[in-house]
Amino acid sequence: MLHDMTRRRFLGSAAAAGIAGTMTGFARSAAAGSGNLTAVEWGGEVVEAMKQIAADQNAATFNWVLHQGGAGAILPKIKAVWPNVDYDYVAGWEGSFNSMVKEDWLETINPADVPNLANIPEKIIIRDGKGNIKAVPRAVGGMYFGARTDTAPIAVKTIDDLLSPDLKGAICWPGPTQSMMLQIVALALHAGGSETNMEPGWKLMTELAKSGNIGRVAITDIDFTNSLTSGETSVGFFAEPGWAAVAKNFPVTRFTKDSNFKAFLYQSGFGVLKNRPNTKATLDFVNFAISPDMNSLYAKVAGEAPLNSKAVTPDNLKHLSFTSDEFSSFVYVPDYNVVLEQQDAWSKRWEQDIAPLL
Amino acid sequence: MTKVRRQPVAISIPDRRDAALTLGPALLVFAFGFLLPLINLAIESLKEFTPGRVGSVENAAATVQNYYELANQAFASVLLTTFWIGGVAAIIGQLVAFPLAYFIVRRISPRMRALTLGFLITLVLSSVLIKTYAIELTFGSVGILRPLLLTLGLSPNSREYINIVVTAGLVHSIIPVATLTLIGAMQSIDPRLLDAAQSLGAPGWKAHLSITLPLSFPALISSTLVSLTFAISAFVIPMVLGRGRVLFISNVIYTRFSDIANYPSGAAISLVMLAAALAVVAVITFAQAWKVSR
Repeated sequence: MLHDMTRRRFLGSAAAAGIAGTMTGFARSAAAGSGNLTAVEWGGEVVEAMKQIAADQNAATFNWVLHQGGAGAILPKIKAVWPNVDYDYVAGWEGSFNSMVKEDWLETINPADVPNLANIPEKIIIRDGKGNIKAVPRAVGGMYFGARTDTAPIAVKTIDDLLSPDLKGAICWPGPTQSMMLQIVALALHAGGSETNMEPGWKLMTELAKSGNIGRVAITDIDFTNSLTSGETSVGFFAEPGWAAVAKNFPVTRFTKDSNFKAFLYQSGFGVLKNRPNTKATLDFVNFAISPDMNSLYAKVAGEAPLNSKAVTPDNLKHLSFTSDEFSSFVYVPDYNVVLEQQDAWSKRWEQDIAPLL
Repeated sequence: MTKVRRQPVAISIPDRRDAALTLGPALLVFAFGFLLPLINLAIESLKEFTPGRVGSVENAAATVQNYYELANQAFASVLLTTFWIGGVAAIIGQLVAFPLAYFIVRRISPRMRALTLGFLITLVLSSVLIKTYAIELTFGSVGILRPLLLTLGLSPNSREYINIVVTAGLVHSIIPVATLTLIGAMQSIDPRLLDAAQSLGAPGWKAHLSITLPLSFPALISSTLVSLTFAISAFVIPMVLGRGRVLFISNVIYTRFSDIANYPSGAAISLVMLAAALAVVAVITFAQAWKVSR
């Protein structure tokens, strides 16, 4: 009873509670250092693939945290608690990794700690200004235009067709925080510009917004998938996992090998964070995850082309497999540092010039 | 009529100690949980942002650019959309909640009243996300009512229609909160006043206008303020139902902080939003105080 509490009893209880709390803290630290990893992954098939890979080993157990929105959304969460970060690795791509490298949050990867890195193409590996390896790539995905063939009101042949009155409300367009706005770079490329000369792209984007053809602006990948699978929209620009989810149940035409469109390739991979007690366990798991068998499993489940040269590329990812001639004709590799530094300006431009027209 | 002026009351030392003990914990929580972060936000809003970085860098230069760049038509339009849709939703919410609260207090049995209150509390506690998707699946562009909308000549893809769906989403969440707020006020009105008015020949509607409405006016204002505050700070509802085409200030703040990591700009927008919301609340509160003093 509360009124029976004496000062001595109170101090005794407080001491017991303090010891219990300290023990809990020690227990948590011990758990953190015993191969219990916290990993940030994308949802849907990607995390499913990683769960299957994790189930094939016993060295580490996982707490899975999912990206909310784009991969960049994790950055403020890390900044808020840095240097006491809670994540052992963060799945990301060029966009988020370049930011993390600038903030000096990522461990330098020693190739001796990740032997399977030897089978990953050298030129795709992200390095800092001193040439240190800062992330481990696992797969290649694409961001590109496509259409749900059974519901698209017209057969889209070029980017100019996106302005057709027949496509009223039928386009699902990525929001300003999706795909680092490469969709507008694609418009710029079509109109003779590039990531360093975006005015033609913004002009075309303005026309598209005015046309009334954009039925939904997808803020998340689920927005995109729901919109296309429900038939709300039929044409769009999005990353591979989004298209793969739609293609599971509906016929999809992907414009990855069409000279009238440009596809963008990105690497998805692992960024291992500094200041964690589990770096060795994390690197061991990363090495395991990019081994030929696990990389093949990842590609099959997640729908991204494997980067380990000894892994098997599934037939359903042939649209992301390019010969060098195809690569130069259909794929555009932007300067991601320029794209990253322009995000703020482009996002504000979207809010000011495009959002009011939608 | 002689006006009664409030006289300052001297507070004794024991009273002050009691006041400090009573208010202390709340003031402490307020200082650390609200005031300190707010000061931090204000400082952040005055820092220069380096594109490509996450938030402001260490020793960033001081600037008012983050506020200056908000002086444009696009930001004013987002602010207007937020207050316009939020205000309309708050008013519709009161129009529905007021008679509903009266009906619950005066027209149904105590058993039914308890059941209805339980239902309203359940609605308040249920997830906004679930309620929002329920509306999307009913009234959205692929909702079950889509054929009806098309028959009526309403395009589910039009901006007007999306505005209506966002308003409906807000009203859906406001009604239970507003009703519960108003029920207390209704219960404190003596029903014999209405009986007396009607026995003296006043028609029912006139008796309500001259007795129920004025007596519940302070509660109605409070309920409107609570509803308006909820509506203008809504995030999930405009995000899901607005299809990325209707933007509220909270969505813009989220984008600045979370997606492009421009903390200084996000902080500046947050403070402008706070100032705008406080201004609206102050105007309504002063208007109410002025009306009461007349």
